[in-house]
Amino acid sequence: MVLKLIRWLLLTAVFCVAGSVCAGETISETTGERLLGAANEPNNWLHHHGTYDAHHFSSLAEINRDNIGDLKVAWTFALGGTDGGGIHPTAGLEATPLVEDGFMYAIDGWGVVTKLDVGEGRGKFVWRMDPGTDKDWAGEVACCGVNNRGVALWGKLVLSHTLDGRLIATAKDTGEIAWERQIGAPESGETITVAPLIVKDMVITGVSGGEFGIRGWLEATDLNSGKRRWRRHTIPSPDEPGGDTWADDHEAYKTGGGATWITGSYDSELDLIYWGVGNPGPDWDRHYRPGDNLFSNSTIAVDPDTGEIKFHFQYTPNDPFDYDGVNEHVLVDTEYKDKSHKMMLHADRNGYLYAINRADGSFIYATPYVKRITWTKGIDPDSGRPLDYDPEAKIQNYAGVASSRDKLKSDLICPGLMGGKNWMPMAYNPNRQILYIPVNESCNATSTSPVDDDGKSIPREWFTAGGMHNPERFSGSLVAIDVKAGKMTKRIDTEYPVLSGVLATAGDLVFTATPDGDVVAYDAENLEELWRFPTGSGLNAPVITYAVDGKQYIALSVGLGGTMPKWWIEAVPGLENVNPSAMIFAFSL
Amino acid sequence: MINLLKHLPVRLRLALSLYVLFMASPIHAEPNAGLGKSVYKKANCVGCHKWHGGGGGSYGGLALSLRDTPLSREALILVIRCGRPATDMPYHYRKAYKGSNRECYGSNSASLGDATPPRARYFLSDRDIGAVVDYIQTDIQGRGTPGYDDCVAFWGADARRCKLMAQAQLNGEKK
Repeated sequence: MVLKLIRWLLLTAVFCVAGSVCAGETISETTGERLLGAANEPNNWLHHHGTYDAHHFSSLAEINRDNIGDLKVAWTFALGGTDGGGIHPTAGLEATPLVEDGFMYAIDGWGVVTKLDVGEGRGKFVWRMDPGTDKDWAGEVACCGVNNRGVALWGKLVLSHTLDGRLIATAKDTGEIAWERQIGAPESGETITVAPLIVKDMVITGVSGGEFGIRGWLEATDLNSGKRRWRRHTIPSPDEPGGDTWADDHEAYKTGGGATWITGSYDSELDLIYWGVGNPGPDWDRHYRPGDNLFSNSTIAVDPDTGEIKFHFQYTPNDPFDYDGVNEHVLVDTEYKDKSHKMMLHADRNGYLYAINRADGSFIYATPYVKRITWTKGIDPDSGRPLDYDPEAKIQNYAGVASSRDKLKSDLICPGLMGGKNWMPMAYNPNRQILYIPVNESCNATSTSPVDDDGKSIPREWFTAGGMHNPERFSGSLVAIDVKAGKMTKRIDTEYPVLSGVLATAGDLVFTATPDGDVVAYDAENLEELWRFPTGSGLNAPVITYAVDGKQYIALSVGLGGTMPKWWIEAVPGLENVNPSAMIFAFSL
Repeated sequence: MINLLKHLPVRLRLALSLYVLFMASPIHAEPNAGLGKSVYKKANCVGCHKWHGGGGGSYGGLALSLRDTPLSREALILVIRCGRPATDMPYHYRKAYKGSNRECYGSNSASLGDATPPRARYFLSDRDIGAVVDYIQTDIQGRGTPGYDDCVAFWGADARRCKLMAQAQLNGEKK
């Protein structure tokens, strides 16, 4: 009997050491190879954007147009964490959960990571990592909600950010913090809401705070040592490339904005990271910052090893409108006008979908994807610049609707500052070569309150030089773009702006969700609505799909946050009746 | 009061003046600093007017400085209740401008049209409005540049912002 016991103990010890049996769970390793080949693991969702090329597409087809009517709730899980802080009475939920080998990693607005075992058809709690975010400290300088857009996976670690500016590495097996670093500086008005991006053996962090007079940056942290590898400022100093596009004499670049709060994409063959850069500051007094204001409102292509900006494309120079250029990049290789292109597709806040050559930053095409555009006459088909951009001028007026020192109140500006599309990601179906864009049909008006020439931004105070208001109600649409033709092929109207990210699947379905609580599935061919489920809370998070043992699930974070229900409830009436929550919903057949 | 009225047509201004004259303020709760401050936070006054009440620009618009404003108690109550037409200051009285209700400036949304103020996210009771005005008048109005004591009163002595402020004041910087 004793001998049997000893033998059992010895065997268990051997297996424990080998790591496979002890905890009842094998800890998956997220290797570089897996991250590069994520599209070949459709049962998992390993990246914030699904894959490095940000298609938000899954080859899973168990759920398809024929059986979508049978889709039902499989399980739900309450994450907790809706308490407020700073200027926000409640937290929001914008995160994309990740799934790896039967385990889901969710995160709430304050950066609390929850690991769930989803391997047996339901979400079962494994551990929670609470980073102890300083809520008032961060919440006071978070313009647009208590938000955290998701985690990243590398090796045996979960990487996450906190609103108060930290990067945290948590052990997948125990939920214990392995290491953390303070990267953002809330004392200067910086917060972090972005989901991290893993590139080789580094994790890339972006910053928020374009309305608070920050000077934006991208930072790479070495995943082995937990130390900084490089920081690249998105607003150059006078002696850096692009520095001459800040033509003032009072160091406006130091408070020039250029936040980086949407996760980038990566091309491993070209070895380039593509990241969008936000609006220049102060938002509504461009006379304070004459010049094109690089690299605000641009896509920058960054060398991952050095952080050097290899090239860029700027969408809206000397921005009068707060048209952050932060939106994500969908990488597609295709033909346009009988020529092959390595494209990056970017639906800019300014209402145009751009196709840019991702090998050298040259312009391919731009097409409008919103109903109304008043800020410019159009985009030059050769240069990609706005037609009314004046290369000789330091102050751009475009079609003349913006407010400024000479015109303190603007005309109607369309798209509004929320943009034709905000951070919520679009999806690309490579079989159809169709891009699906979640659209915000809105206009607004602004007033300029000029900064004194010797006035400076005060740390942690808003530095927008004015305000805005919404004379009209917002609505939304879902738009299909034929990427090879460079044209919209279909648009359907939605009651509210579409604030959730889109998912496209090989089942020929397109999923998204409404801010007043419905998850919706559309036919990928004609955008006919095929299925709808009311979650009873608000939705502004991207939809994902994963599979366990061959069974496909559709999942998303459920809980509203963000800018609209806080600041502009008059433009989205009805959303005041949407209550906060922090849940995960998963659907299956 | 003059600033408040300058956007409005003459008839409206007259109606407003009469309104203020004849409506003796029924909103007079016992001073309750705790309730007032909590309303200031929950009703998102802090979002536009900032924690120190100094106002300025934000996504919410160009908010008035409550520290500098000479508005009387009655005027503050009126503005919170009814908003300010043709501005982004929202109304917090749930019946304001609705249907045939003309309690605010003698107007409803039909008569004000585009000048109708936006609705607030959270409506406030008369008691809440009285409490927040008490709070504004005791803790914010007329109190000059916000300093360490103001910070502690709002965020608490443990708040990082206040500790940094104390340090800055020790270092002789003005914050």
